[in-house]
Order: sequence, then structure tokens, then C-alpha cells
Amino acid sequence: MKVLARIATATAVALTLGVSAASATEITFYYPIAVGGPITKIVDGYAEAFHKKHPDITVKPVYTGSYQDSVVKAMTAAKAGNAPDVAVLLSTDMFTLIDNELVEPIDKLATSDADKAWLKAFYPAFMENSQAQGHTWGIPFQRSTIVQYWNKDAFKAAGLDPDKAPATWDEMVSFGKKLIKKDASGNVTQWGIEIPSSGFPYWLFQALTTQNGAILANQDGTKVAYNDPKVVEAAQFFADLSIKDGVMPKGIIDWGTTPKDFFEGKTAVMWTTTGNLTNVRKNAKFAFGVGPMPKKVRGGSPTGGGNLYIFKSKDKAKQAAALEFARFLTTPELAADWGIATGYIATRPDAWETPAMKKYAAEFPPALVARDQLKDAVAELSTHDNQRVTKALNDALQAVLTGAKPAKAALDQAQAEATRLLTSYQN
Amino acid sequence: MKQNRILSPSTIAAWAFALLWALPLLYALWAAFHPAAYATRFEVTAPLTLDNFKHAFVAAPFPRYFLNTVMLVTGIMLSQFVICTLAAFGLARWKFHGADVLFALILIQLMVTPDVLILENYRTLQHLDLIDTLTGVGIPYVASAFGIFLLRQAFKTIPKELDDAARMEGASTLQTIWRVYLPLAKPIYVAYGLVSVSYHWNNFLWPLIVTNSVETRPLTVGLQTFASVDQGIDWSVICAAALMTSAPLMIAFLVFQRAFIQSFVRAGIR
Repeated sequence: MKVLARIATATAVALTLGVSAASATEITFYYPIAVGGPITKIVDGYAEAFHKKHPDITVKPVYTGSYQDSVVKAMTAAKAGNAPDVAVLLSTDMFTLIDNELVEPIDKLATSDADKAWLKAFYPAFMENSQAQGHTWGIPFQRSTIVQYWNKDAFKAAGLDPDKAPATWDEMVSFGKKLIKKDASGNVTQWGIEIPSSGFPYWLFQALTTQNGAILANQDGTKVAYNDPKVVEAAQFFADLSIKDGVMPKGIIDWGTTPKDFFEGKTAVMWTTTGNLTNVRKNAKFAFGVGPMPKKVRGGSPTGGGNLYIFKSKDKAKQAAALEFARFLTTPELAADWGIATGYIATRPDAWETPAMKKYAAEFPPALVARDQLKDAVAELSTHDNQRVTKALNDALQAVLTGAKPAKAALDQAQAEATRLLTSYQN
Repeated sequence: MKQNRILSPSTIAAWAFALLWALPLLYALWAAFHPAAYATRFEVTAPLTLDNFKHAFVAAPFPRYFLNTVMLVTGIMLSQFVICTLAAFGLARWKFHGADVLFALILIQLMVTPDVLILENYRTLQHLDLIDTLTGVGIPYVASAFGIFLLRQAFKTIPKELDDAARMEGASTLQTIWRVYLPLAKPIYVAYGLVSVSYHWNNFLWPLIVTNSVETRPLTVGLQTFASVDQGIDWSVICAAALMTSAPLMIAFLVFQRAFIQSFVRAGIR
């Protein structure tokens, strides 16, 4: 209970006396819960395994709610001088954390040759959201992409090839029209497709913009292209799926219950994170397929999920311990273990060569889909003042999807708002 | 008798509203006692199960969270009673310089949402060495402006003659409060206690931010384990967990329902 207080006192004493506290370093580790299952127990297990390997370091894992709650908690604690040593936060929180001067560039801490090799060991698509201003700020930990899941039985019943998911935008519509089922009174009992649009519609929408050849933000996070004609076209297509073509339910589709709709046959195709794989595998009572995103001018999906950040601290021993722990969590063996336990994509190629992962992939080939899609993946939308800049796009999308505003007007407005917010960062 | 049988429009409306309000609870009951497959399919013959409760119960150390929540809400309520009573008495009965300004300042606190103060409160607690303690979770709420306001208004309506009579008998200030003011304002205490307990039973963000360990975290933070946004939400387990955590409060309300409602009615008449 008073552990933190004790660390604080110990640190203060160590600092004033100039004594190194390395002999018994305790670090705190904040992590959010974004997937079901006994995640807290898995993480506690990792912390214990780490302590066994490094008896001089004790890790105190603290689960911090959703990603949103986690960043609020981490920033509050850090600003009061009580920062966690390591935290898993959204990769898109990077600019916010940099602008508030809360996190340490990892390349400044990881300077040995082995460290440099470690920083290069991850999939480049994941590093796009982890690097800015010439530094590496985050280590990929629980990362994902969007994939499509389809109900093979429903495809068969509709006279479609059960082994082929829609591969193009045109097929999304034409398959969807065949898959629609209505009851006697004209109510739809099975939709062609569901693309969730609650909470963070920008993420799923970014798959559409990527496929249409648009990039939403620059690498420095200082500019966005919300009203690029290709983005407007993607928004129009998104809205048309329900309003014009009638293959998707009208209005806002809830992220949290989309998998449930899929299990219950209310939709034949759903788009959601690869993090859902384990859930679908457990709950789908029919043959299902997992496929990469369809193409327009190209394929592709944004990456998503959380990175490990190391917070600024005056205590070098703790930072070194934090780095050691981050390295431990991202070894090929642990990356594989975490991927198998949760459904996230193991973050480095050599994790897929471990015996455990090979066995898992052989038993359950859909696990490979998201990994193979990484070559087409782009960085998730992330800018300075990320919350507000992203909210502008979210609001515009929901207005378009509910038919409240035409695509062009809504996105022009979002662009103006985002530009206003980002002006102070453009120099 | 006969008149009672005829349903007046207001009775019908009351029932309709009651049903509307009860719907989420009724749904939670349905989802919690049936397998996940029936969470949104309502068939009378659906099999009943307690598995959801089992899953929910092992997912987090709920007994400990229960204990923490109970200690937290009772601790906060008792401290609020003491502090608000004394402050309210001073403001209601004593004439001193700046009393009105002081009261206005206290009222201003009502208009500040606690969420904007999170960082400042956290800093203060950090200095007091109270991070990750139950005291730390509760202390920002102890000097409640709402409680002071409510009790001050109640004390003002108590006839001064009763106060004077007690003094004549030789009662000290504290004795007067204890023997005269407290009994007469009892309905207010019950009403305010109810509001306080239910607010802190449900409070989430502040406890999450200020606590780090199982020993100090309340139920609401434990419930968060089930909000697995990356995987879709298992309504059956969530409903089971939600029922489990809100049951004590609901049962308490049902048991003390008559007392609660009477005290609200009396508080209103006064």
C-alpha cells in the first residue's frame, strides 16, 4: 500500500546521498486492458518471470483501465512527479507524450550494439507509429491491424464461394446484396457487412482511405489531409454502403457488439481488429474465414494498438531497469506468447520462428493473415494534439454516416478545425 | 375499494415510466442468468445458468474490492456527516464577519466538476503521502459543499427557541447539536447519506487514478476488467458482474425503502 511512498523516499535518499539504488530497484508498469480473458494474471506472470531472471529488479504491474483511462492516469501521475517507469499506451499517444515532455527517447537509453539490433528487430509497419523527430519513442507491444471475418455458411447459402472474401470494393457491395436476408415483413435479418463506427470510427475509416490511396497525416504529425478528394470518396463509399446500397445497417454501428452480431448471424461479414481472433475462434458456431482487407487502388489497413513507453525519471537505475523490462517483454519468445494469448500480432519476425508460434500457426492458419497484411499496413492516424485532431474527423464521419451532412462539407469542416489546432506545431 | 380498481392516467403513466427505468435492470437479469448465446435472444425456454457469475467472480478479486468499497463509502459518509454538520451549524447559527462570503465560496465549489481538479488533488495527495490509500480516495470529497448547504438550510428552519431552551438547561454547543439539531434534521441526513453512498459506490475515474493495488481499489475499478474493447463485449459476464457489484446497494434500498421515501417526503415538506 505504501510501496510507492517507500520508493519515493528511497529514491530521495539515494539521490541526496548519491548512492545507487540498483541493488533493489522497484519499477511500476501501467498497462490497460483492451482484450478479454485473464490478462491481469498473464501480466503478473510476466513480472514474476522477469524478477526470477533479474532478482535485483521488482516490477509492480498496475492495470489502468481502458486506453483512455490509462493515458489520463499516467499523465496525471507523471505531472505530479510520480510517473510510472514503463507504460503500455496507445501508439497514437506518442505526440501527446512528447509534447508534454513525459517520455524518454528509447534510442537515448538503448545505446549498446545489442540494443540497437533490438530496436531494428520489429516489423517496420509498427515502427512508423513509434518514431518521430529522429527518435524512437515507443516499443511495439500489443499491436493489431484490421481484418475481415466472414461467415462461410452464410456465403454458401447465398450461392457465393465460401472460401473467398470480398476482394474489392465492388465485391463488398455485390456480395453484400446477395447476402442480405429479409423476413416476411421486410426487416433485414442478415446484413451483408458491418463496419463499426462508434467510438473511434476514424480507425476503420482509415482502412478505406488507405485502400483508396490516401494518407491521412504526415510522419511529423503536423498536417492532415481530411478533405483530400480520395478521402471524401472513401467517406462517400462508407456512407453509401448503408444509405445507397443498403448492405450495411444504417446509422452508427457499435464497435463492442459487432462481434456479437457476427456470431448470431446478423451480419455475414465484419471488419474488426485481429485482436478479436481468439474471441471469434471461441464463439463462432459456424465455419468462418479471416481475410485481408479488400482493395480499391491498393490493399491495406492502419496498424493499431499499444506501445511500451519509458517515462522520464531522474533515477538512472530505474530507467535502466525499465529498459531491461521492455526488452524482456519483447523477446521473440514473449512476443509469441503474448500474441497467442491475446490475438495481437507478434511484433517481430523472429517471434514467428519460435516453436510455440509455429505450432499455433499450423493449428490455426488465420493467425497469419494479419501478419501477412503488415506489408500493406500504414501508420495509424496520429498527430500533435491527437485527441482533438482525431475527434474532428470522428465527428465528421458520424455526421456523414447518419446522413446529417454531405461528405465533402463535413470533411472540409474537419480539415479546417484540424488545421487550426495544428497551426502552432508547424514551424 | 372500487375506486382503487380504476386505473387513472397518472397511475398508468407511473407504471410506464417505472417499467422504462427498470428495463436495463431487467435486461441485466436476463443476460446474467442465461448463456451468452441467449444474451439478445429472448426465448422463455432458454436454459438458466450461473456460469456467468462464476466467470465474473474469478476474473478479479471481488471480495477484496467489496471490502474496499464498503470501507470507502462508510468512511466518506461518516466524515462528511461530522464535517458538514459542524460547518453547517456555524454558518446557520453563528454571526461572524464574512459569513456570507464564506458561504458563497463554499457554494462555488458546487459548480466545479471534480474531474478538472484531478491533477491538483493528485499533487496534494502526493505531498501528503496518500497516493494508493483509501484515505486518499476519500479525502477530496469529505468537505462536501452540497452537504454543508443542505444541512445549513435544514438547521436554519429549526426554531431558535429550542436551541435557547437547551442552553438554559446548561447544554454545551456540541451537546445542543447532538440533542437538538441532529434529531430534528434526521431526514436530511438519511437523504444526504443515500446520495453520498450511491455516488461513491459508483465513482470510477478518481479511484482508478489514485490507486494502484488490489488492497485499495474499489469495485468499479474491478469491473473495468470486463470492458475488453479490442475483443468485443461479453454482455452476459458484464451483466453478471454488474449485478453482483450493485446488489448490496439495491438490496439495502429495497429493505429501507419505506424509511428512505418517508425521509425524502419529510425533507420536502419542511
